Amino acid sequence: MADNYTPRYAFVIDPRRCIDCRACLVACRAEWETPLGQTRIWVRDSGVLGEFPNLERQFIPFQCQHCENPWCVEACPTGATFQREDGLVLIDEEACIGCGFCVEACPYHVRFINSETGKADKCSGCFTRVDRGELPACVATCIGGARMFGDINDPESEVSKAIRGRRVHRLITDQVDTGPMVFYLEEPLNPATVMPTPVSQPSAEAFWQKAAIPFVKAAIALAFAGQMGAFIMQLIKGEREFDEM
Amino acid sequence: MSDYQTSLPGKPRLTRRDFMRIAAMAGTGAVYAATARPARAESIRRPHLPGPNSDYVVPTMCEMCVWRCGVRAKVRDGRIYKLEGNPDHLHSQGNLCARGQSGFMMTYDPDRLPFPLKRVGERGSGRFVRISWEQALDEIAERMLAIKEQYGPEAMIFSSTHNLSQPLFENLLNAYGSPNYGTQRSLCFNAMVSAHLTTFGIEEPERKYEGIKYIILTGRNLMEAISTNETKALMQAIMDGAHVVYLDPRYTKTASKASEWLPIRPGTDLAFHLALLNVIVNEGLYNADFVSQHTVGFEELEETIQPYTPEWAASITEIPADTIRRIARDFSAAKPESFAHPGWRTSNFRNSFHTERAITILNALMGVCHQPGVCRLAAPEPDVGLGAPPQPPYPRVRAPRLDGVPWKYPVVPLKLGVFQELRDNILTGEPYQAHGWFISRQNPAMSIPERQKTVEAFNRLDLIVVIDIFVNDTGWYADYILPEATYLERYDPLHVAGNRVFIRQPVIEPLGEAKSALWIYKQLGERLGLGEYFQYEDEEDYIRQQLEPLGVDLETIRQVGYIEVERPDLEPSYVWNTPSGKVELASETLRNAGFPAVPVWEEPPAPPPGQFYLLTGKVGQHTQFATQNNLYLHEVYPKNRLWIHPDAAAERGISNGDEVIVRSEVGEVRIEVWVTEGIRPDCVYMAPGFGHISKGLTTAYGEGASSSDLHLTHTDPISGGQALTETFVTVEPAPRESVIPAPEVSHG
Repeated sequence: MADNYTPRYAFVIDPRRCIDCRACLVACRAEWETPLGQTRIWVRDSGVLGEFPNLERQFIPFQCQHCENPWCVEACPTGATFQREDGLVLIDEEACIGCGFCVEACPYHVRFINSETGKADKCSGCFTRVDRGELPACVATCIGGARMFGDINDPESEVSKAIRGRRVHRLITDQVDTGPMVFYLEEPLNPATVMPTPVSQPSAEAFWQKAAIPFVKAAIALAFAGQMGAFIMQLIKGEREFDEM
Repeated sequence: MSDYQTSLPGKPRLTRRDFMRIAAMAGTGAVYAATARPARAESIRRPHLPGPNSDYVVPTMCEMCVWRCGVRAKVRDGRIYKLEGNPDHLHSQGNLCARGQSGFMMTYDPDRLPFPLKRVGERGSGRFVRISWEQALDEIAERMLAIKEQYGPEAMIFSSTHNLSQPLFENLLNAYGSPNYGTQRSLCFNAMVSAHLTTFGIEEPERKYEGIKYIILTGRNLMEAISTNETKALMQAIMDGAHVVYLDPRYTKTASKASEWLPIRPGTDLAFHLALLNVIVNEGLYNADFVSQHTVGFEELEETIQPYTPEWAASITEIPADTIRRIARDFSAAKPESFAHPGWRTSNFRNSFHTERAITILNALMGVCHQPGVCRLAAPEPDVGLGAPPQPPYPRVRAPRLDGVPWKYPVVPLKLGVFQELRDNILTGEPYQAHGWFISRQNPAMSIPERQKTVEAFNRLDLIVVIDIFVNDTGWYADYILPEATYLERYDPLHVAGNRVFIRQPVIEPLGEAKSALWIYKQLGERLGLGEYFQYEDEEDYIRQQLEPLGVDLETIRQVGYIEVERPDLEPSYVWNTPSGKVELASETLRNAGFPAVPVWEEPPAPPPGQFYLLTGKVGQHTQFATQNNLYLHEVYPKNRLWIHPDAAAERGISNGDEVIVRSEVGEVRIEVWVTEGIRPDCVYMAPGFGHISKGLTTAYGEGASSSDLHLTHTDPISGGQALTETFVTVEPAPRESVIPAPEVSHG
């Protein structure tokens, strides 16, 4: 491969192989120390469908779709949410101001404000593991083999082989098509549990112009005023108070 | 001095929020009274771990269930932060289940017991004080010696559950001289194991899934009662097109993956399998060569099963005769790439032994159980020549066993025992009165049916010692609780899997004053005058003695986590370890003991009108009674709910999420319901392990309810297995009380 080769990472999910053991949820929480009560990934349960004894049930591993056109990136006022060349949508915690616009903008509702850091949070594709040549934590531990991950540009990768000659499904609707890079090998039995919903401002640009810019300007002004205030207080009261922090 | 806890868990049931409030009022920081000086200096050598703030990876073994997957434990700044499945281990193959992934949260559980406790309040009051290890060990040994002197060694009961340090626990028991040993076996797999011993002379066959075309799973919920590599193998077989027939009154996750789910009437699996045998024998669908060369009793079997036609079974099992006939034919046509899974926990009905026998016979008739690569009769793990410390012979035991083996249960294998009977005979005082109970890594207050009786038994005893990492529910009633190191903090004896010998080794130093079982048993053994049975300096010395004949040093195995050993390829065994030396379709041993030599139909009891069968069975996120306090597992499965069919719920005016009172002959519980089409209308189901009564488990306390409050004690007279499903219950809406909103996770 050429030196400038860039992989394009994607997830392939085979719901038939998911047994809802939730090892992925625990592995993800451990890897990222996600606070209790919050999670970066899910196993969506269709529920028990049908009437006894003719029943069906499907489990769908679910997470950030690492979209080709991520609305969250557009919605982010500081550039904290960005997309790497390999497709992974990431959050620069240093730059994130925790405004939550990206949380609102995601049609899959997979983002949240981390209750401990106050920053936006979501599946990062375990980019640190991936950059070391390892699989994401959820994929690595998956007993049924339902979660797969790899370079969709590489015809020899597990994900490329898994979808070759297969009908794949992406979680898109007439209203929402952000180019999700998670490919499902089975259609959802209960679409309501996984399909994206139009967010309150479907146009990210409009969202940005109408709501975000004035608010962020105000937030930045407030933060600046706070800093100034603190600085003035420091000048007045001297260094002592800061020493005790 | 402040007490460990302030009050009994009382009725009405406290909600979790109430408890948190009470705990806060009592001052959670001061629940342990600090009255004693720190324990004496270590006599034990510490493992040579990297420095306290280092980053490193240690290969070791999981202990979140009994399957023992290989683990790579990752440490950052001296703290374990992630566990990965070890790809070099046969059982994990690089994966871990939710329990395995959460393992380090056992180590860092806020409720870990950091030092030995001694009871100061009434038994069950939960009032303890901190004592030193020296005081604890001295006092326990003194009291155990007093019991031995006054009542004989048989007055002391020992009990523990499947674990790697069990040989040393058994050393303590046998050297002390007691015949009374309680294990989980009769609550779990007595029927399955004794059926295999009867038919084939082995405990359990190895199963191979590669290339398999047809599998019958009789309640073996492999997608939730997870054995990592076997669960994986079943999934792969399904993806490769194997036909899976799954019998269960409940639509489990395995049912949702099976080719066909047969919601059989509880207790009638025997009728289903007898009908399969009927078709297979009468239509000549068996492996005639295998039957003539390797089995005895075919004629008797043929005669006995004549009445058991598919039509006969249809009315009993509620599975159509045509379905049974089709399955018999397809199963046979797929041989030898087919097998009937015997299940694992088979403690369901008093007829479960016959069910298991029918399954072993079904496999025998197919001849599949000698096919390499299919369902191979494995010899016991071959002796790879591990060493062991020298020790004198054990003292001779003269007293009969309190669990009724063999004087009441003549064919129950000695090793399996009848735990529930042992508990009952603490209460009857027959054939003699027990006075002490030494319990390691086990929770009989949760596991044995009829918890009320178990607690009553605790109250009959002079001494109860519990070794655990928490104040578990049994510890709550103990006189002494000794804090054990978790599996990530200690060594255990080596474990052989396939052609490899694996080590469990410390990833970090034990927290607090926790110690390994090897250390505790040795310290106690020495104080009991039994030091000759514990001839090792420390854990590392024990393992060195194990490794010595192999010429491998400890450092080598510690680095990689395992060593390869030479092991002869397992050839199909044609030497059957049975009295006849053949596969016994008919068993003279059973006949001589007054039991049917071949399986016969025994009608199980059924619930009276308006009542339900109470079903139990594992979930994928918890192991028995030990993991509900784990914060990460609590997050993915916080509490059990009662499964009930919509029709049954509607009849009683119950809606999804309501609280109900479930009542049996012996007890009642309050629990939230999950109304689901996924269960027969005549059954309800509760996952085991919830409804903890120890307030030392602050995460699990108050979550869900325990079926041990409801289960009646019924024992299969042949295998000694507890019949857990012979408990019938009523369900009615609970009187209103403030309830906590359910967390947003699936309980199904």
